[in-house]
Amino acid sequence: MKRYDCLKALAALVGDALVVSSAGAMTLEWYALHPSDGHLRVRTLGLCSSIALGMALGLPRRKIIALDGDGSLLMNLSSLATIARMQPTNLTHIVFDNEVYEASGGKKTATGAGTDLVGMARAAGVRNSRWANSIEEFTVAVSSAIKGGGLCFIGAKVTTERTQVAPFPIDEVENKYRFIRHIEKTEQIEIFKSNLPASYV
Amino acid sequence: MDPIEAAKTIVTGLKSAGINLVATLPDINLSDLLSEVEADRELIHVPLCREEEGIGICAGAYLVGKKCAAIMQNGGFFNSNNAIVSTLLQYQIPLLLLIYYAGDIGDRTFSTTGSMTEPVLQALGIRYYIMRDPGDAVELIKRAQVSTEDAKRPVALLVTKEALGRRAAVASL
Repeated sequence: MKRYDCLKALAALVGDALVVSSAGAMTLEWYALHPSDGHLRVRTLGLCSSIALGMALGLPRRKIIALDGDGSLLMNLSSLATIARMQPTNLTHIVFDNEVYEASGGKKTATGAGTDLVGMARAAGVRNSRWANSIEEFTVAVSSAIKGGGLCFIGAKVTTERTQVAPFPIDEVENKYRFIRHIEKTEQIEIFKSNLPASYV
Repeated sequence: MDPIEAAKTIVTGLKSAGINLVATLPDINLSDLLSEVEADRELIHVPLCREEEGIGICAGAYLVGKKCAAIMQNGGFFNSNNAIVSTLLQYQIPLLLLIYYAGDIGDRTFSTTGSMTEPVLQALGIRYYIMRDPGDAVELIKRAQVSTEDAKRPVALLVTKEALGRRAAVASL
């Protein structure tokens, strides 16, 4: 499977779900397919699943989608146990497993030597964990997850093929502000309060 | 104050600072505090397997409007450093860190960890204060929360054994 084709299928289904994507080319492909302020690009390898969990716990009525990679999840496997412990019903954790550290020079990850991330997710306690072996299976799995299937983990084995897309157009701080403003607008809440500076009262 | 009273005071401090999500990993000296956090219905408690997860969880929750604190031992603060740098500092995200000060001066255990704690905080440019008296907890936590929100950088409170209502570290010469 090509990751870009999976992302295309996801773009048609994503609706107003918030998306957190792991560092690497996948983020750029996703942004090219679905530019939105409700998308956070993660820069810390491994942290995608944890950031998505924090969002899911903070906004329990909003669907949160984590777009993770094998190298990233392998670095933060304990997040699977924490996710399972918290059981956020609004979190969909998708892992594109290309069996290499794609953004770091293409060396093989442990999944290339047989580690089964879906098996690990299930053993950690994420009961609804499955491999999607074709675009059709991926589309069905994502569609049922977005329609309210509870906490789920979807693994997709993909090739290392990249699609040429534009670079990510904004830096981390702008990404943060746009994301928060998007939450304020769509959830009708105030996150940045204009506090009276006590020193000048 | 005894440990339970100190724990209740710190939780009062967290709530009066507006904190509503707390990520934690145990140290024996934090036991009563974590039990109070767990028991409080107004706080979302996220027990971690590794402290670095907590930095991500708190960052994610902040981005959707929560006010968060992470409670850990200083060894766990070391575990969290990559996430603190490339998520909190890089994106300018505030976070209140309550760090149990293992290896505090006079403490027989973890003296290497203790000796590196303040230098690492300084190297990262993280403002910190040492909390030694549980009577200061409410005021210090509120102030730290104001500073972290205002600076949009993490702020740390180094919480000593005495601040947790426990016997001072030097008692066993």
